[in-house]
Amino acid sequence: MKMFKSFPGLLFFIAAAAVMLLAGGSAEAKVRVVTSTPDFAAIAREIGGDRVDVESLSKGYQDPHFVDAKPIYITRLNRADILVYNGLDLEIGWLPILVTGARNSDIATLNSPGNVDASRFLTFVLDVPTGPVDRSMGDVHPRGNPHYMLDPRNGLLVAKGITEKLSGIDPENAAYYEENYRNFEKLLETRISEWSKELAPYKGTKVVSYHKNLDYFTRWAGFVDAGYVEPKPGIPPTPSHVAALIKKMEAEDVKLVLASNFYPQKTPRIISEKTGAVFLSIPTSVGGEEGINTYFDLFDAIVGQITSALGSGSGAAGSGSSMRNG
Amino acid sequence: MSVGRIVAVLVISLIACHAWPHTEAFAQGGEDIQKELGELKQMMEKMQKRIDDLEEKNRALEAEVESRESEEEVVVKEETVTVPASPSPGEPQGFLSKVVQSLNPEISVVAMITPTWYSLNDPVVFAHNDPENTGVNMQEVEVGFQSVVDPYFRFDSFFSFSTEGVEMEEAYGTTLFSMPLNSQLRIGRARAKFGRINQIHRHAQNFVTLPIVVAEFLGEHLNPTSVEASFLVPAPWYLELSASGGSPDVETPTFGRSPDANNLGNLLYIFHVANFFDVGESLGVSLGASFATGSNESGPDERSSLYGVDFFAKYRPLKNNPYQEVSLQSEFMWRQAETPEEELEDYGFYVEGMYRFAKRWNTGLRFDFTDTRTPIEEHEDEDHDHEHEEEEDEHGHSHDDILGLMGRAYRISPMLTFRPTEFSSIRLQYDYLNQDYGPNQHAVFLQFQYAIGAHGAHPF
Repeated sequence: MKMFKSFPGLLFFIAAAAVMLLAGGSAEAKVRVVTSTPDFAAIAREIGGDRVDVESLSKGYQDPHFVDAKPIYITRLNRADILVYNGLDLEIGWLPILVTGARNSDIATLNSPGNVDASRFLTFVLDVPTGPVDRSMGDVHPRGNPHYMLDPRNGLLVAKGITEKLSGIDPENAAYYEENYRNFEKLLETRISEWSKELAPYKGTKVVSYHKNLDYFTRWAGFVDAGYVEPKPGIPPTPSHVAALIKKMEAEDVKLVLASNFYPQKTPRIISEKTGAVFLSIPTSVGGEEGINTYFDLFDAIVGQITSALGSGSGAAGSGSSMRNG
Repeated sequence: MSVGRIVAVLVISLIACHAWPHTEAFAQGGEDIQKELGELKQMMEKMQKRIDDLEEKNRALEAEVESRESEEEVVVKEETVTVPASPSPGEPQGFLSKVVQSLNPEISVVAMITPTWYSLNDPVVFAHNDPENTGVNMQEVEVGFQSVVDPYFRFDSFFSFSTEGVEMEEAYGTTLFSMPLNSQLRIGRARAKFGRINQIHRHAQNFVTLPIVVAEFLGEHLNPTSVEASFLVPAPWYLELSASGGSPDVETPTFGRSPDANNLGNLLYIFHVANFFDVGESLGVSLGASFATGSNESGPDERSSLYGVDFFAKYRPLKNNPYQEVSLQSEFMWRQAETPEEELEDYGFYVEGMYRFAKRWNTGLRFDFTDTRTPIEEHEDEDHDHEHEEEEDEHGHSHDDILGLMGRAYRISPMLTFRPTEFSSIRLQYDYLNQDYGPNQHAVFLQFQYAIGAHGAHPF
């Protein structure tokens, strides 16, 4: 009996639990989709239309490797029917701990019905190490390069996967999702061939990027990766590496330096000034810049910025000003 | 005693590393599993063959595409390939071993090695894993094994090795299935949800030394073996209530096993409320309150009660300077402890500010304070602490096992950390300690930290 004398906390606890009982259990008909990055959210919106609620945990102008595992995300994941994430260890530093805390068996394990690792929909993954790997190589991803959404053709695969998931979880609206997917597919295929046409004159352009996160894009665009501002993935540039890179760029006549707009801009800017190459700070995710609200907007912006910079042939150009919306 | 523990842990680790999948498999019916393994192997070989084919096809395709430079890009449709998982173009054996390996738990090792200088010959050390004396200290080697158990549970275990032996720091199962009231159970030994720093492993904390108030009231960490239920309240912000009851099977400065142990009322009960608010996208604030009550060892009915509030705020602008952040963290604790002679009351707090000014650099300043209304004499605890006399001697001037404080103490600690990568760090820290019951102390630490194995989570 003595212990209960010292229990002011217990009273509060009981009161709060009662509040929780009353507040809980609100029913909502829409399928709740939570995604780790805004690209998946944009695609889920295309497919789900008004039958789903979609929310992305991270922002498009944020480095997806380093998102703070804010407890508020647990609250969002707790209510999710489907969690769509990038996989290939991109979110390894922040998502697992949130998923465990979410208390939601729909998404809790790899085998849960709403746990959607979007990398499973891919047909190929770049940079899967073939030899031994260790962390002396920097922040290597042993399962391959995770930035696959920058190849728009992967957007198609992911959209198809999301359509199947949505139809499985919400079979009543399966026809609706299927129709949205077909529209999305048609439009995206058209746009892909348009973007390809716009990029075609610049095929073979040598490009230096800040991090290895643009490889899927450069591969699709037909550019040639000539080096990285980071000496190793995740390791900030060192003076000696920058000097060697500048030399290499001059020898190989590299005309373009690209960096996601969330990376530090100072070093790539200096490199472009020293070499006369064009430097572009580009958005690499939906929401990465004001006005980029769909997956189409994203590639309109990237392709537009690159083609207009290369087309004008100017020296060290500014960033972000040449954005185009479709 | 401690050798026995080491052997036990080694045996467990060996089982975990090598035999774990097999023992579990055979327990369920070896033949089925063998058959399945055979099938899996076959499937894998098929897949490998398919991958090789596809790669070849892919190469041919790419060559073709390159040859038609000015023509339109070919849209690769999903019907070309349907490989369920990300294909790995490694050697067949490497691919197979990778898949099998993934059934093992994730293993991680984190070491903290700290060259240290103390101004006193008989240094004042508050926490068990603080650097012990002038020289090079092996503060801690933490070994972790973590994995999902099955669709319903995950299990996390951490063993803390130091020069004095091994401690089972954590070993608990967590429920993964949805339960009524948004609840979740943690069963086993875990760092209790009391305050903030008690839930953060030592290597993820911001300073070399543990705050005095935490060391004096919770010990190195408060990790009773218990059953903990936590509830996620459906509120617009993050609100979690947790309650746990368990055995105080680890001696702490505040709680201990009652001589009248077989009594539910004498177990250790811990309650915690955690709140988190997003104030805009750049600022996050968390506020918590904790309460713990349990028996202390001073008599059959003597109890200790511990109250705590914690505050944490982090400002990290997402748009410009993505790697800069400022954070402020503080905890206040107040303790009441009954002893047969008197009721002891003391309190303390710490405040630490951190500034990360570049991707790999951060600096911080911490202020520590503890005081008591009922000062005790040194070594007054000896009569109820017979079990720990040996350790007390090894620790020298240890405060580890004292119920109640001797007086007022404060400490100021500036710190600078360089993190070459997420997996290593070098931390320089200076401590100035002032206590009204003993001499002042200066200390300088240079802590090296290494982490290998599984990629840990970045704590918020």
